[in-house]
Amino acid sequence: MSKGNTPSTQTRRPDRAALVIAVFLAGLAGLIFWDTSRLAKITSYSGIGPATIPFVIASVLLLLAAWTVFEALRGDFPTRERQEFGPVIWIVGGLAVQMLTLKPLGFSIATGLLFAATAAGFGKRKLWFTIPIGIVLCLGVWLVFAGLLQLSLPAGPLEHLFW
Amino acid sequence: MTTFDFLLQGMLVAAQPMNLFYALIGVTLGTAVGVLPGIGPALTVALLLPVTYRLDPGGSLIMFAGIYYGGMYGGSTTSILLNTPGESASIVTALEGNKMARKGRGGPALATAAIGSFVAGLIATLGLAFIAPFVVKLALVFGPREYFALMVLAFVTVSSAFGDSTLRGLTSLFIGFALAIIGIDQLTGQARMSFGIPDLLDGIEVTTLAVAMFAIGESLYIAAQGDQGPDKIEAVKGSVWMTGQDWARSWKAWLRGTAIGFPIGAMPAGGAEIGTFLSYATEKRLSKHPEEFGHGAIEGVAGPEAANNASAAGTLVPLLTLGLPTTATAAIMLAGFQQYGLQPGPLLFATNPQLVWGLIASLLIANFMLLVLNLPLVGLWVKLLTIPKPWLYAGILLFATLGTIGANPSVFELGMLLAFGVLGYGMRIFGYPIAPVVVGLILGPLAEQQLRRALAISQGDVTVLFTSPVAAVLLAVAAAALIVPLILRARGRGQVLSQLAANED
Amino acid sequence: MKQFFLASILAGALALPAVAADYTIIAPANPGGGWDQTARSIQSVMQAEGISGNVQVQNVPGAGGTIGLAQFASQSAGNANALIVGGYVMVGAILTNKSPVSLNDVTPIARLTGEYEAIVVPADSPLKSMGDLVEALKKDPGAVSWGGGSAGGTDHIAVGLIAKAAGVDPTKINYIAFSGGGEALAAILGSQVTAGISGYGEFESQIKAGTLRLLAMSSPERLPGIDAPTIKEGGLDVVVENWRMVAAAPGLTDEQKAAVSADIEKLAKSAGWQETLKTKGWTDTYLAGDAFKAQLAKDVSATEAVLKDIGLVQ
Repeated sequence: MSKGNTPSTQTRRPDRAALVIAVFLAGLAGLIFWDTSRLAKITSYSGIGPATIPFVIASVLLLLAAWTVFEALRGDFPTRERQEFGPVIWIVGGLAVQMLTLKPLGFSIATGLLFAATAAGFGKRKLWFTIPIGIVLCLGVWLVFAGLLQLSLPAGPLEHLFW
Repeated sequence: MTTFDFLLQGMLVAAQPMNLFYALIGVTLGTAVGVLPGIGPALTVALLLPVTYRLDPGGSLIMFAGIYYGGMYGGSTTSILLNTPGESASIVTALEGNKMARKGRGGPALATAAIGSFVAGLIATLGLAFIAPFVVKLALVFGPREYFALMVLAFVTVSSAFGDSTLRGLTSLFIGFALAIIGIDQLTGQARMSFGIPDLLDGIEVTTLAVAMFAIGESLYIAAQGDQGPDKIEAVKGSVWMTGQDWARSWKAWLRGTAIGFPIGAMPAGGAEIGTFLSYATEKRLSKHPEEFGHGAIEGVAGPEAANNASAAGTLVPLLTLGLPTTATAAIMLAGFQQYGLQPGPLLFATNPQLVWGLIASLLIANFMLLVLNLPLVGLWVKLLTIPKPWLYAGILLFATLGTIGANPSVFELGMLLAFGVLGYGMRIFGYPIAPVVVGLILGPLAEQQLRRALAISQGDVTVLFTSPVAAVLLAVAAAALIVPLILRARGRGQVLSQLAANED
Repeated sequence: MKQFFLASILAGALALPAVAADYTIIAPANPGGGWDQTARSIQSVMQAEGISGNVQVQNVPGAGGTIGLAQFASQSAGNANALIVGGYVMVGAILTNKSPVSLNDVTPIARLTGEYEAIVVPADSPLKSMGDLVEALKKDPGAVSWGGGSAGGTDHIAVGLIAKAAGVDPTKINYIAFSGGGEALAAILGSQVTAGISGYGEFESQIKAGTLRLLAMSSPERLPGIDAPTIKEGGLDVVVENWRMVAAAPGLTDEQKAAVSADIEKLAKSAGWQETLKTKGWTDTYLAGDAFKAQLAKDVSATEAVLKDIGLVQ
């Protein structure tokens, strides 16, 4: 991000992505208003109930959304570097797979898959090579941290062979 | 016997070769677990405490002190090298430390963190020994309204981490505030923004957010640059050790960080993070090289790291003198002390001097062993950065998720890790700063609770917020910090702005 | 090298004879709290006394223990080696959080320890006795601020019960919830609040040092070694005990239940456990079987009533 702050030229068209951010901020503010309004009737000796501060935060978020729209229309947002989405999908996919397989398959296999997916995101696509490496590495990590240092990391079929 | 005799006697016991060895093991174990992102000192000490039970009391006390210091220190290594703060108190360290590491100055960054921690630990432990009763009186003056004023001051200092756009800085901060609403409201027990999901009732774990935003967001961002980015970070440029200039710029920051961290750590609701924020802002303001901030200024590592360690020793002040555990780490330490027959409280220094001074001596020795262990390792740690990117980032994600799973093995927590990682990635693309989100999550609830407590005690009378002398002074300092730069900017607009514009190129 | 170091040290430390059943104990709280300490104490005593060869403690923090409880009830059903630590705070949390899982969904084995609530004021407070405090409360409930632990927790419930017994509207109490006993204690010592309420152990050393004045205890009768009247003596019928217990998984056979109960009884009666209680300052309130079940049912209904009175449960 430190590289992306060159001010853009004034001739740019409205920044669509920045408008999306403004909508997101306004939506967040709306969500807060909607959820905490049911608490508005609760008051205490302080005069400030559980809904007061959330209301303030949501109001400021609305102001920030308006400010974002203003800057987006003026084209004040920094230019962005080109993003390749392939690697992002690899890594996000790896995290999702780890999340889903952690309980059934145990720490080593799930995290080994994440390891291989991340390496793939950074260009090492030889999965037949990276997956076994990842699993063996994670098993070693598991043995040290769960086996010896008593950290509770989920065990699966592989871990049960050792412990 | 005088205070000094007791300390000397304690040092003699602690300095026996076998005890030094136990201290080294404790420091090693503490660092090994504490280095995991998401596993803070509290969990580290809780996990490793049973290991110490098997030794004689003296040895186990000293090993325990080692684990404590190791766990405290471990977080800064990953902050600096991998931009992955291990706990909330080392978030600020990542800001400048990682920038330094990227420029091939990881060695000096690690060294100033280690030596700064040592200096701060040494001074603060001596402070604990000699001025604890005085400091604790000061800390008790702080009630909800004084804390609220302190939070206001901390908010103002956060603006120094905003980066180049006020809009984007404020937006980040308020996203943090919005996340902070999630969970049970402390004062009324009502659930807010939880939508009936039990996992959200306790709010969002700071470490989960920090690990996700920093480690995962960063990995995604770098991966998305594909082959454009540099393939390898240059691990060492210039000396791996601190140069004369590094020393000259660090030592004042260490002392200032200690002076800020120790009293804030001693306050029952202070917390280590706040000291690091204040120290960072102070260094930025006082530095002769303000332009380096945000690009790897060594003061920005030295000050907050010292503040972090000094406040850890500060936490022991209320713990030993009042029996008051003010952090999760302190609560576990209390459990540990009880194991050694140490009953913290106002009478402890009078009834049990040998044990207290034994503990203080152990802390001093452990602090020293931490330096002995970590300085030689600096060269080795820096080599981590020479690992090719695919393996390095695969390893970062392995350890980032390991920490989260170890702290709370729930699928939901991993889901949050992923979601916030993607959020952090998106924010990086659009140039939003990351640190204010985490700061908002930490400070938001504290400020809200203290404000509401203060007003409940006064039954809704707002004037109490300004009428206490301590609160009034803190608020005045905050107001000055906010307004003075605005006036200066307005007066010297042309000249300052042109200078700013020149800096931006 | 470091791994080798760790391995050799820990392998030596952890090489224990494999004896009886292995247990996994869920501590439904963060490290450092009472439940975590209870779980870890059970762990070390069980291993030291040879009741179990290998005991693991797992922290599942969140929402007054209800997250750990829900996870335990769903994932451990029928598993005789799984235990969970819990206590009175859970009873309140289940109600205030509208938890779908309650203590009926697990198999409570035994109450292990307990602590009574202490009501204190700063040493320089004009309030000299419980009677003075109740008078002040009756005159202007808002002017009496109470510092204690989390909203809806044991401390809050006790204040609600006191107000109700004194004929004061429980919704009018000015209860200031602090996160954890430590912060509340600091506020009381600094005279930020009128009175403080928490477990006796939280205040013990301050009371002995004379910086806090103990007004009353929430025990049914006076406790040995504690020089203070009970709330009951002052004419308010309030007894509150913050107990901690251990429960087993749902869906166990009678034999499995008996085996777990026997192991826990062995634990509670062991010299190591008694020693632990002493160093931690916990009171032994071991109660098992039907007597515990009856006590539990009584506590649940009384808590529900007072939480409704305070307005925390609709």
